[in-house]
Amino acid sequence: MNKLYLWGIIMGALMLGATYIAVTGTKGGLNDDIINILTIAGAVSLVIITVFVVIKYVRQMQTDTADGVLARETWDGIAEYENELPVGWAVTFLLTIVWGMWYFIAGYPLNAYSQIGEYNEEVVTLTTKFEKDFNEKMSNFSETEKTQYMIDMGESVYITECMICHGLTADGIDGLSTDLNNWGTHASIVDAIVNGSKGLNYPMGDMAAGFASGQDATDIAVYIMNDLSGETGSIAYDNACAGCHGTDGKGLDGSSPDLLVYGESGFIVDVLNRGKKGFIGDMPKFDRLSDKQKEAVGAYISSLNK
Amino acid sequence: MENRPLEYDYTVAKMFMLTTIVLGIVGMLVGVILAFQLAYPSLNGSDLAIAEYINYSRLRPLHTDAVVFGFTLSGIFATWYYVGQRVLKVSMAESRFLMFIGKLHFWLYLIAVAAAVISLLMGVTTSKEYAEFEWPIDIAIVVVWILFGMGVFGLIGIRREKTLYISVWYYIATFLGIAMLYLFNNMAIPTMFGVSEIGESSVGVWYHSVSMYAGTNDALVQWWYGHNAVAFGFTVPIIAMIYYFLPKESGQAIYSYKLSLLSFWGLMFLYIWAGGHHLLYSTVPDWMQTMGSIFSIILILPSWGSAINMLLTMRGEWQQVAASPLIKFMILGSTFYMFSTLEGSIQAIKSVNAIAHFTDWIIGHVHNGALGWVTFMIMAALYHMAPRVFKREIYSKSLMATQFWIQTVGVVLYFTSMWIAGITQGMMWRAHDEFGNLAYSFIDTVTVLYPYYTIRGVGGVLYLVGFLMFAYNMYKTMSARPVKESELQSASPMGA
Amino acid sequence: MFHWLEKNPFFFSVVVFVIIAFAGIVEIFPNFAQQSRPVIGTKPYTTLELAGRHVYIKNSCNACHSQLVRPFKSETDRYGDYSLSGEYAYDRPFLWGSKRTGPDLLRVGNYRTTDWHEIHMKDPASVVPGTNMPAYKWMFTNIADINTAFAEQLTIAQFFSVPYNTPVPMKDGSMAVVKMGKSVADAHALALAEARIIVADMKDQGVKDAVASGQIPEIVAIIAYMNGLK
Ligand code: HEC
Ligand code: HEC
Ligand code: HEC
Ligand code: HEM
Ligand code: HEM
Ligand SMILES: [Ca+2]
Ligand SMILES: [Ca+2]
Ligand SMILES: [Cu+2]
Repeated sequence: MNKLYLWGIIMGALMLGATYIAVTGTKGGLNDDIINILTIAGAVSLVIITVFVVIKYVRQMQTDTADGVLARETWDGIAEYENELPVGWAVTFLLTIVWGMWYFIAGYPLNAYSQIGEYNEEVVTLTTKFEKDFNEKMSNFSETEKTQYMIDMGESVYITECMICHGLTADGIDGLSTDLNNWGTHASIVDAIVNGSKGLNYPMGDMAAGFASGQDATDIAVYIMNDLSGETGSIAYDNACAGCHGTDGKGLDGSSPDLLVYGESGFIVDVLNRGKKGFIGDMPKFDRLSDKQKEAVGAYISSLNK
Repeated sequence: MENRPLEYDYTVAKMFMLTTIVLGIVGMLVGVILAFQLAYPSLNGSDLAIAEYINYSRLRPLHTDAVVFGFTLSGIFATWYYVGQRVLKVSMAESRFLMFIGKLHFWLYLIAVAAAVISLLMGVTTSKEYAEFEWPIDIAIVVVWILFGMGVFGLIGIRREKTLYISVWYYIATFLGIAMLYLFNNMAIPTMFGVSEIGESSVGVWYHSVSMYAGTNDALVQWWYGHNAVAFGFTVPIIAMIYYFLPKESGQAIYSYKLSLLSFWGLMFLYIWAGGHHLLYSTVPDWMQTMGSIFSIILILPSWGSAINMLLTMRGEWQQVAASPLIKFMILGSTFYMFSTLEGSIQAIKSVNAIAHFTDWIIGHVHNGALGWVTFMIMAALYHMAPRVFKREIYSKSLMATQFWIQTVGVVLYFTSMWIAGITQGMMWRAHDEFGNLAYSFIDTVTVLYPYYTIRGVGGVLYLVGFLMFAYNMYKTMSARPVKESELQSASPMGA
Repeated sequence: MFHWLEKNPFFFSVVVFVIIAFAGIVEIFPNFAQQSRPVIGTKPYTTLELAGRHVYIKNSCNACHSQLVRPFKSETDRYGDYSLSGEYAYDRPFLWGSKRTGPDLLRVGNYRTTDWHEIHMKDPASVVPGTNMPAYKWMFTNIADINTAFAEQLTIAQFFSVPYNTPVPMKDGSMAVVKMGKSVADAHALALAEARIIVADMKDQGVKDAVASGQIPEIVAIIAYMNGLK
C-alpha cells in the first residue's frame, strides 16, 4: 500500500480515536444533546475532510507533472503559471458565498434569531423532560425507594454546590465550615445551647450562649431530637427556649428557627434560603437552586448522620 | 549597473534573525513551563519568595507576547528585510536613509521588547489579550511599526521591479492591518489626567490607563483586534513567506496567479468580519455573532486557496519533498495551516463553539497554527536565508531532518491531547445527570485533564528541543564554516 | 484592474485599507451607544473594589477565569443568570476572558464568601484538592495601590461620566450612591472603611494588623472585588 494512505489512515484513526475517548469519557456521552452531536459531527468532518484533501494534493505531488503557460514576469527568479483556478475550489467558494447570502437573507434572516429565545426554549425543554422523568419514577417507587432517590439526587447537588466548602466527606474541611456528618444531632443542639448560634438572619437576631447548661442542655437536646415530645427536657425547654422558639418549637411565626424540623430537610432548605453568617464562618445563600434541589440536598445531609 | 548582479545588504535581516531565534527560545521555554505548571501545580513555586513572578498567571501573558511580538514579529521583520530587497530588485545599500531607518527600527524594537518583558513580569498589563501593554510601550510599538512601514514603502518607492510580487502584497497588508487594529484597540486615557476635587492630579502610578471603551464595546473592539492580530500576524505575513521561500527553495513556478489573486483579495475582504466568532453567545448583538460565524465559514476557501496553491506548486516534485527537510517544513506547514483553518471555521459554528469556547480545544487550535504553521514557516525561512545571508552552507542537514521529525511528533502530541481535553471538558460542563442536576462539579472537569496536560507538556518539550536544535544549527552555520566566495547560486542549500 | 494595482503600490494600499476598514465600521459602530447603557442594579466600583480589580488584572486571573455566563442551562445552573450587556457598563477593560481553566467568576460574590476566599487564595489545594490554581501568598503582604484606583475613579468620572456620588437605581427600587473621595486622603479613608468590614471576617493576623494600622493588603482589595461580583 502507498505509504501516503497509511499515514492518512493513521492520522485519521488517531484523531477519531481521540474524539471517541472524549465522548465516552463523559457521563451519558452524547446525551441526545444537539450541541454535543453537532460538535462531534464537526470534529469528525474536520478530520475526514483534511485527510482526504491533503491526500489528494500529495498524490498530485507524487504523480502529476508541473505544466501550464508561464507568465512573462519573474521575481528574483520566481515564475508564475497562468493556470486556471482548481475547479473544486472555485465551485465550493461560489457555493459558500451563495449559501452565506441565503443564510443572511432568507434562511435565518439576521434579525430573526435570538439567543435568549433559544435559551428559554432550552430551559423549558430540559425542565419538562426532567420533571416528567421525576414524576414517573416517583409514581412507581415505594416509600423507601422515594427516600433513597431524593438522597441520591441530593448527593448530586451536594457534589457540585456544597463540596467546595464542606468537603467531599462533608467533614467541613478542618473547621472551615460545619461538619455535616454531625449536624442535626443531639450533640449539635447541645453545642447551639452552650455556644449560641448566629447568622441565620432571623428577626430575633442571634441566639446568645448559655440559655441552659449541664444536664438541662442535654435533656433539652433529647426533647428536640424527639420532635418536642416525651418527658425528658420538656420543662427545661419551656423555661429556657420557648420564649423564642415557642412551646410548640415552631419559632413563633418565623421569628426564630422552627425546631421541629431541626436535623431534617426542611431546616436545611431554610439555611439555603437565608445563608448563615455564623461563628465558624460565612455561608452564602443558595437561591439559585430549585425547590426540589434544596429539598433533595436537605434529604442527603440529614441522612449523613444516620 | 543594471547588468551586474545586485549586492543585497542583509545587515538588518541578520539582526532580526537573531532576535527571532532568541525570543523564540524564550517564548517556547515559557510555554513549556506553563504547560507543566498546569499539569503539576507545585511548579508555581508558591512557597518561594519569587512566586509572584514565576507563577502561571504572571507568566502566561509573557508567553503569548514573547511568541507573538517577539518571535513572530522578528521573523516577519527578518524575512521582509531579506525578501523585500530581492523581489523588488533593490538593495538596502542603495539608500543610506533606509539603512538608517532599518537599524533604528531594530534598536527601538529591542528596547520595546525589553520594556515589555519587564513590565509583564511586574504585572503591568491591561489584560487585553495580545494587547497587554500599557500606553508607554504602546507608543514605542507604534513608532517601531511606523519605522517598519517606512522600510516597506521606502524600499517599494525605489524598486526596480515595477510589479509587486505576491509576497509584497501580503507584507503591505500586514503593515496596514496591524497599524489600524493596534491603534484602535489600544485607545486609552492615562489616569494621570484625573483631577481630584481639591486639585490633586497625577495620582497613582504614571503608566496606568483606562480603556476608551467599556464592557461589551470593549470586547467588540478587542476581538475585532484579537482575531485580526491572528490574521495579520499569524497568517498574512506567513503566507508572504511561503509564497517566496517555497518556490525559491524548490525552483518551481507558482501554480496559479489567479488562485493567488482570488485568495489574497478574498482573505482581505473576509478576515475582518470573522472577529465575531470570539464573541459567540456573549452579550454582543445576535446579528454580529451570526455574521462572524458565516464569514468564518466562507473564509475557509481563501485560506485553503493559498495552501492549495502551494501544494500544487510542488506537483510532480515529491522527490524534493522526500529529500529536503526544508521543503518538508513548508509542505507540512501548509498542511497544518489547512488543518487549523478548517478547525477554526468549524469552531466558529455557533453550536460547536458552545462547546469549544473556553476550553483547551481552542488552545489546541491555536498551537496547530502557531507550532505547525507559523513556527515551521519561520524556521524554514531562516534556514533558507542563512546560507545566503552568512554565505555558508547549513551546518547539518541530518540535524535538520531529525529536528523535523521531533517537532512533528511534538505538534501531534500537543493538538491531539488538547483535542481530547477540550472536547471532554466542554461536554462535561454541559452534562446533566439523571436527576437534571449538573453532572460534574467544576473540579471534576479539571482533574480529568491532568493526563492530557502532561502529554501536552511532553509534546511541548519535544518541540522546544527541536527549536533548540534549530538554534544550534543556525549558530553553527553562522560561526563554524568557512566563508564562501560568492553568494550561493544553487536553489537549495541541500543541493551540496 | 488587479494588474494595474500591482504596479501602483499607493492605490494598492488604499484599496486594501478600505476593504479591511470597511468591516470594522459596519460591525463596531452601529451598536456602540446602545451596548453601554447600564442595567438597573449596576453600580460603579468603589475605590477598594477597583483596587482589587487591578490586583485581579495584575495577576492575570482572566487567563484562567471568565466573567461571562452564556445563555445555556448548564451555565445558568452553575453560575447564575446569563450575562446582560448593561451589567458591564463600568468595566474598563472588560474581563470576559477566553479560557476557563477555572470556573466563571461573574457572579462569584453570590456563592463564595470572604473567609473562603482567604483560605482559597492562600492555598487553593487545601480547600479544593486537585486544583491547579496557583497560591497567591504574596497578596497577604503586598499593599494594594489605592492611589491608582482613585486616579482611575477620577478619570472615568471626568471623561466617561461614571456616576460617582450620584444615586443609581437598584433592583429593589432603592437608590444607591457609590462614594468617591474628594482627595487622596479621603479616598484612603473610604477604602479603609470598606477594608475593615472585610477583615472582620478574616483570620490572617498579619492582614488584620495591617488594616488596623491603616494599610490595605492586596488580598483585602481582591476579596472586596470578588464579593462585589454578583
Ligand atoms: C433569645 C431568643 C432565643 C432563645 C431564648 C433560644 N433561642 Fe434558639 N435560636 C434563636 C435564634 C434567633 C436562632 C437563629 C440563630 C441563627 O441565626 O443561627 C436560634 C437557633 C437555634 C438553633 C439552630 C442552630 C443552628 O444550628 O442553626 C437551635 C438548635 C436552637 N436555637 C435551640 C434552642 C434551644 C434548645 C434553646 C433553649 C436552651 C434556645 N434555642 C433558646 C433564638 C433563641
Ligand atoms: C462558601 C462556603 C459554603 C458553601 C458553598 C456551602 N456552605 Fe454550608 N456552611 C458554610 C459555613 C462557613 C457554615 C458554618 C456557618 C456557621 O458559622 O455556623 C455552613 C453551615 C452549613 C449548615 C449548618 C447550618 C446551621 O444552621 O447549623 C448546613 C446545613 C449547610 N451549611 C449546608 C450546606 C449545603 C446543603 C450547601 C450546598 C447547597 C452548602 N452548605 C454550601 C459554608 C458553605
Ligand atoms: C492556573 C489557573 C488559575 C489561575 C491563574 C487562577 N485560578 Fe482561580 N481557579 C482555578 C481553578 C482550576 C479553580 C477551580 C478549583 C478551585 O476552586 O480551586 C479556580 C477557582 C477559583 C475560585 C472559586 C470559584 C468557584 O466558583 O468555586 C475563585 C474565587 C478564584 N479561582 C479566583 C481566582 C483569582 C482571584 C485569581 C487570580 C489572582 C485566580 N483565581 C487565578 C484556576 C486558576
Ligand atoms: C479560517 C481561518 C480561521 C478561523 C475561522 C479561526 C477561527 C477561530 C475560532 C472560532 C476561535 C475560537 C474563539 C473562541 O471560541 O474563543 C479561534 C481562536 C484562535 N485562533 Fe483561529 N481561526 C482560523 C485560523 C487561525 C490560524 C491560522 C491561527 C494561527 C495561529 C489561529 C490562531 C488562533 C488563536 C491564537 C486563537 C485564540 C484567541 C484567544 O482566545 O486568545 N487561528 N480561531
Ligand atoms: C514549546 C511550545 C509551546 C508550548 C508548550 C506552549 C504552551 C502554551 C500554554 C500552556 C498556553 C496556555 C494555555 C491555556 O491557557 O490553557 C499557551 C497559550 C498560547 N500560546 Fe503557546 N506554547 C508553545 C509555543 C507557542 C508558539 C510557538 C506560539 C506562537 C507562535 C504560541 C502561541 C500561543 C498563544 C497565542 C496562546 C494563547 C492562546 C489563547 O489564549 O487562546 N505558543 N501556550
Ligand atoms: Ca495597550
Ligand atoms: Ca485566549
Ligand atoms: Cu479569530
